[in-house]
Amino acid sequence: MHRFAVTHKLRIGGGIVVALLFLLPVFWMVLTSFKFQRDIFTTPPTVFFTPTLENYSNYLQRSSIPYQMLNTAIVAFGSGLISIFTGAMAGYALARLRIRGAGLLGVLILMSRGVPPIALAVPMFLVGRSLGLIDKHIFLILAYCTFLIPYVMWLMRSFFIALPKELEESAMIDGCSRFGAFFKIIVPISLPGLLSTLIFCVILAWEELLFAIVLTNRVASTVPVAIANIAGDTVNGANWGALTAVGTMTVIPVVIFALLVQKWLIQGLADGATKG
Amino acid sequence: MSNVKTEHRPARRFQSETLLDLVSRWAFMVPAGLILVAMLAYPILYTLEISFALIDLSTFQVTEWVGWENYEFVLSDSRFWASLKVTAVYLALSLPLQMVLGFGIAYLINVEWKGRGFIRALFLIPMVVAPVVAGGVWRMMLDPLYGLTNYLLSFVGLGPYDWLGDSWLAMLTIVIIDTWRWTPFIVLIATASILSLSRDIFEAADIDGANWWTKLWSISIPLLLPMIVATFIVRWLGAVKMFDIALAATGGGPGAATQVINLYIYEEAFRSLHFAESAAMAMIVLVGTMMLTGVFLRGSRKLEDLY
Repeated sequence: MHRFAVTHKLRIGGGIVVALLFLLPVFWMVLTSFKFQRDIFTTPPTVFFTPTLENYSNYLQRSSIPYQMLNTAIVAFGSGLISIFTGAMAGYALARLRIRGAGLLGVLILMSRGVPPIALAVPMFLVGRSLGLIDKHIFLILAYCTFLIPYVMWLMRSFFIALPKELEESAMIDGCSRFGAFFKIIVPISLPGLLSTLIFCVILAWEELLFAIVLTNRVASTVPVAIANIAGDTVNGANWGALTAVGTMTVIPVVIFALLVQKWLIQGLADGATKG
Repeated sequence: MSNVKTEHRPARRFQSETLLDLVSRWAFMVPAGLILVAMLAYPILYTLEISFALIDLSTFQVTEWVGWENYEFVLSDSRFWASLKVTAVYLALSLPLQMVLGFGIAYLINVEWKGRGFIRALFLIPMVVAPVVAGGVWRMMLDPLYGLTNYLLSFVGLGPYDWLGDSWLAMLTIVIIDTWRWTPFIVLIATASILSLSRDIFEAADIDGANWWTKLWSISIPLLLPMIVATFIVRWLGAVKMFDIALAATGGGPGAATQVINLYIYEEAFRSLHFAESAAMAMIVLVGTMMLTGVFLRGSRKLEDLY
């Protein structure tokens, strides 16, 4: 029993060390974002310093970042909501409504996860350009739906299959239409699943870069584009203060969000992998 | 009761009701279907179309059909092959590394104590750091002069390394960043699947006097195999899309040492404006990804049958 207790403690200790190691880059990013320029470029790196909000105030006042934050939120929530609404309905149809060819549709959805986004970005750019859709929020929102809807369909399909059939049957005997049964009975009891899937979608859209670079210029540009520009600025050199400040502002809301709903999120992750 | 008794009703009424029912069933598919046809199916067909065409850069319109010319050009382009090789090396290094680390860490942290849920939640954090932020922040941490990594490594007598200046180290950098961001994802899935294993089997094995290696090899791995395979396929489908981290951390450099295929196609399309050639490359990558995914799915089924 004694040896068991020792390995038990070792594993707990090991787990904590590994977790902290994984958090180190995030911690370092937040720390650097509060440093003056003179404390950032030092050898060896500075750990104790006089904190400043300079990096934040610089970027919040003199740049397009606040505007890009707003765009990112609009696009992330817009595409998340559209995807959860349309994807859940389609997932329900695949799960319950005995659609002819449902199996084939399922395979197609799974395959769509293998489509490289660049194969979509090129035609979207060319068509969007001639239709005047480039730099419009709605175009980026719809572009994000291409990877969010299949994801929602697949997750919600397995979610709906697991529900007891008697639910809608009794509702329809009571005179509900199929839509009525879905929206009045199925949606309310699936709310936790729908919500965790929505959160996933918002996070995925929040951090997307490729479509955002290709399909926006200024009006609908998002924060990941700004970060890519700061990180890849070879003319002025890396502005680490800006990078970490903007990075922290992008990451912290998502982290808080994720930790608040961590139980659902972890469940959703496990379902996404196994049932997918 | 109306639904149950439909079959006893007059034929005409029956037909119109099932037709209505059929329409209402398909109506659930319509919104998602419309978006996916317009934004997913049509663009793929358009890519296929322009991969056989010549595009006029003043109007961005197709001017001429050139047959397989774009494909021939791409297949003889050494930079295309080089970026495929870079992608293959990246996948071959990072996928196994992430799988082993992910399941290993999940096994490690799966100890019963009151902080278990908290530790597990901490692993959510790297996962929700945007890849482009991860790339940028790691670029800062790996800076040869001011970076934290070389400083920490100096305590164990290693380095200094020019992480982003050397071809192999730059590739390793990409693998490290990707592994940092995605291992937690695998840890969380693996933890959930390990927790779902029944305890009775392990208790029975304990009674039979099995050591931990036997338990791992003969019980845990076979039982976890469907999960391991599913996780691998999800991770594979994500990893072939690698773009953000490479763009933010190395920009494909030094030279083209970390120019993964998506980055190369992106540069060809939107910096060099070679839309037709990049469409041909995108189609090749699309077909290749589908074929390999099919092979993995088939292989996974064979593997599961084996146990």
